[in-house]
Amino acid sequence: MSDTPAFRPQAQPGLMQRLFEPPAVGKMAPVTAVFVYVVLAVWTAFVVFPLYWVFITSFKLPQSVSQGPFYLPFVDFQPSLHAWNDLLVKDWEDTLRAFVNSVIIALGATALAVMFGSMAAYGLARIQYRPKFGSIMLFVVILLGGVVAAVMTGLDWKIVFAVAFALFVLLLRAVSRFFVRTLSNGDILFWMISQRILPAIVVIIPVYMMFQSMGLVDTHFGLILAYSVTNLPIVVWLMHDFFAGIPLELEESAQLDGASRLFIFWDIVLPLTRPGLAATTLLTMILCWNEYLLAVFLSTSRAQTMPILVAAMNAGDRGILWWTMCVVIVVMIVPVVLMAVLLQRFIAKGVLTGAVKG
Amino acid sequence: MSIDLQSVSTRPGGLSPVAVSRRDQFREWLDLHAGRLFIAPAVTLILLFSIFPTIASLVIAVSRVKLSGEGFRFRFVGLQNFTKLFAGNDQIHFLGRFNEMSVIGWVLIAATVGWCLRWLWRQWRAGFSFIGFVGRLITIFALIGLAVVLAGTALSGNAWGTLGTTMFYVIVGCTVQFGIGLGLAILCSQQIRGKNFFRVVFFIPMMITPLGVGYAFRMVADPTFGPFAPVWQWVGLGTFAWASDPWTARVFIIIGDSWQWIPFIFIVMLAALENVPRDYVEAAQVDGASGTQIFREIVWPAIIPVAATVMLIRAIEAFKIVDLPNIMTSGGPGIATESMTLQALFAWRSNDFGSSASVAYLLLFVTVVLCASFFNFVVLKHIRKDQGT
Amino acid sequence: MQTDIRVPVQFDKVAKSFGAVKVLEELSLMVEPGEFLVLLGASGSGKTTALRILAGLETASSGRVRIGDRDVTETLPKYRDVAMVFQSYALYPHKTVGENIGFPLKVRGEAPSAIEAAVKDAARQVELDALLDRYPRQLSGGQRQRVALARAIVRRPSVFLMDEPLSNLDAKLRGHMRAELKHMQHSLGTTTIYVTHDQVEAMTLAHRVAILEKGVLQQLDTPRNIYNDPANLFVAGFIGSPPMNFLKGTLKDGRFDMPGGSMGTSLKHSLASATLGLRPEDARVVPAEGAAIQGSIYTNELIGDHTLITCDVQGQMITVKATKDFAGQPGDPMGIEAGTAAAFVFDPSTGARLR
Repeated sequence: MSDTPAFRPQAQPGLMQRLFEPPAVGKMAPVTAVFVYVVLAVWTAFVVFPLYWVFITSFKLPQSVSQGPFYLPFVDFQPSLHAWNDLLVKDWEDTLRAFVNSVIIALGATALAVMFGSMAAYGLARIQYRPKFGSIMLFVVILLGGVVAAVMTGLDWKIVFAVAFALFVLLLRAVSRFFVRTLSNGDILFWMISQRILPAIVVIIPVYMMFQSMGLVDTHFGLILAYSVTNLPIVVWLMHDFFAGIPLELEESAQLDGASRLFIFWDIVLPLTRPGLAATTLLTMILCWNEYLLAVFLSTSRAQTMPILVAAMNAGDRGILWWTMCVVIVVMIVPVVLMAVLLQRFIAKGVLTGAVKG
Repeated sequence: MSIDLQSVSTRPGGLSPVAVSRRDQFREWLDLHAGRLFIAPAVTLILLFSIFPTIASLVIAVSRVKLSGEGFRFRFVGLQNFTKLFAGNDQIHFLGRFNEMSVIGWVLIAATVGWCLRWLWRQWRAGFSFIGFVGRLITIFALIGLAVVLAGTALSGNAWGTLGTTMFYVIVGCTVQFGIGLGLAILCSQQIRGKNFFRVVFFIPMMITPLGVGYAFRMVADPTFGPFAPVWQWVGLGTFAWASDPWTARVFIIIGDSWQWIPFIFIVMLAALENVPRDYVEAAQVDGASGTQIFREIVWPAIIPVAATVMLIRAIEAFKIVDLPNIMTSGGPGIATESMTLQALFAWRSNDFGSSASVAYLLLFVTVVLCASFFNFVVLKHIRKDQGT
Repeated sequence: MQTDIRVPVQFDKVAKSFGAVKVLEELSLMVEPGEFLVLLGASGSGKTTALRILAGLETASSGRVRIGDRDVTETLPKYRDVAMVFQSYALYPHKTVGENIGFPLKVRGEAPSAIEAAVKDAARQVELDALLDRYPRQLSGGQRQRVALARAIVRRPSVFLMDEPLSNLDAKLRGHMRAELKHMQHSLGTTTIYVTHDQVEAMTLAHRVAILEKGVLQQLDTPRNIYNDPANLFVAGFIGSPPMNFLKGTLKDGRFDMPGGSMGTSLKHSLASATLGLRPEDARVVPAEGAAIQGSIYTNELIGDHTLITCDVQGQMITVKATKDFAGQPGDPMGIEAGTAAAFVFDPSTGARLR
């Protein structure tokens, strides 16, 4: 009767088809949706559970910890504030000192790293540097000679380095015109970023000796210096791409109007990279806040940071004071997580632009 | 817009006078040397606290250091610290226990050598460059060395040392974390509800101090008072202590490490996925491609440069792993979970600065060679391909 | 009062190359005091490079640049006393309109009160007084353009440099701003160098136009002379809309022959292969019988006040301007005639004009 089968309405889809085929482009099939939400829920549980456990443990009495697991406050154990009381009331001076130390060191190191790192990143993004390869080799050789001389002769290393530096300047004046090969900005950038590869354990012993002779061991300034150097590569790496992304015309226009490089950097460039700056600052701050290895080496008592306080709750023969340790961990986590939640979009963007451009 | 001649002309024109006052002269000087001023602080810091200590560390690594009253005394001992690690009484600690090589060990060595030769041959065919050749030789040297160590220890039924443990953390840890991180990112890039909630929650572990992660996992995994203790009892593993078996101990450390680092991979890969141009995906959808086809043909090639870079960053940090094994197992049982950094840390604690520095230097060598190889031969290739050059 | 800011600008054999690529080849030109000079060329012609060399944003590979009586070849941009309006306007997005306009004075360390007065003044010139507290993102394209102009005039520079300042505006606004710009330059009297690829802007704004192609100066003359007396094939084809017709044929004792017709020129030369240039408005449509050039209508387009007819003359297309009530169908035979004065003859091998 009809000879247009092509226009027949489609047969009702079968049950399997309805379960496994997406109803429309960009939508998920029911089975896929269930799978996705189950996986996400499981992972959420995996992420949250250790934090939850730390949190409730901070409210447990020693016997609530040692007598097997208790899961729900008020239901199977009576929460107590005794650990919080121990740390925040009884030993409040130690806690406060560690907290203040951590804040000072994290803020100081972040400020130093972000300031020097962005300056270097900006310079490398906008100004042509042509250091001579030979000069750098000369510097390394003289430095190596200086180290060997200081170690072998036992002379004061400060004198040795003053002499070595003077020697370097003199030699450079004499021979620099014979050097031809130059390095580019990309090389310097790579050099700075690649410092992140350096394991802290490699430099820590000489740095410790250096700090000892300068009286910087167990001081805020010493830790600030150490932290800012370890985080400098990250700042340079992230900020370089933000700076390179600013339209060059803005800076050229300011240049024509008579602004100096420093003024342009301060007045035009930095305000324009505010989101990137925020992300970089936050990331650096978190890394400094959480750092443990360098703190173990470089602080003994006065400059102790929060991570050291956490480790101090491992009281050796008396076992671990889980309850108070959990209090310290919670105190450490809360400010960082708050900041991170507020700024996590920035971080994703910042890390991505860096990652894509390599 | 009309121009009023008189009012505009009241500001005299003409060329700016050259700076005269002392303050202006200083400003001039600053501007002239702005280039150097911008990078000088960073370069100085890196030279002082990164390059100089690296060189000094080399001196310590070839010395015996003694603490004497006021300061340190160095005595040059040549490569003694290194030979101790490779062939002396620290060999078992660092490389592992070598007995007779098993068949599988020989197979692994042969396969590695064969792969390296094929790789060299391909480079030869593609065009020889001296620097490239030397770079490949160094990579091959490191790869074959690692293969021999692995073949002689683990594959021959013996315990491996800190080198093997570190490589285990890097390779297994990075692979697992990348797989799960990418998987979660793919799920989160679908049209799901509560995307922002998951994004924030999944991101949190990255913010938490490794120390806290270590202790938290130690607590959670405790067989007597941890939350899963009843489960262990029920399965009949009530008396089993995970920390006393090398493999469970390593796996637990990997789980803790993954908990901390998957967020990083997740967040970057999610951003990369969301950066894939919608047009391409939509064009493929119109052409009738399935979800897997779209991922394989369009999305994966687009995110591969980011994936390679993120793996590089992750690997660089993974080589330095120290906090988790230190806290969760103190490197035990025996040395089963001890990473190279931890070995150096323990050596420092026992005032053996020479050994500590030499282990650290070997770690630096392995890290630099493997990361540089990965960067040059994998990351750069994908970035170049991406840019079409 | 004005004379002190009217400054000449001189390019003396200025060349620029990036590696092996020559962007600018020995450009020599003199810009008179108070002149509005337009550098016209397609992209890649070197016009922007010339402007940036003058601004000091690029350094010349060789040659000298002079502003007034000063040799500024090696001078830093900030001492050249030039103001530049960029194609993207280069407004600082984090500063208000007022702060943007006042920026050149702020970096010179002027007193805040003086800056405020000057900013108000300049803003009034470009009718922005009501918008001083807005941010650039809150402005329309035309308003942003005027902020950029105000920022340039606020400090009364010796020379204005403009790099395609109108190209980001829509067509209607562009016409309006063009007139304003011309008026402003005339009343300020400041020497202005203006880069564009748009021939209408060049013709309407310039005292003189310098046409660049592949880094070489093709012609430097008044708009009228450039149009009426093009120096070579490139200039003849570049200026004029619709463009000049180019016909291939031979020249014999000053008479141009091509398949399908011939016409007289004002020359006496002979050339085996010649190109004849004929502007669409210089040709007349005549009945086909007995016409100098005969062909058939290919297509006709009613523009509004006139009609453009494309005529197929044995494979060569000639566009002719006719009245708006021209009636003809594609395929109809038609003839074309033109006076000898309207014919430009070029040597196709060199592009040079035969005179």
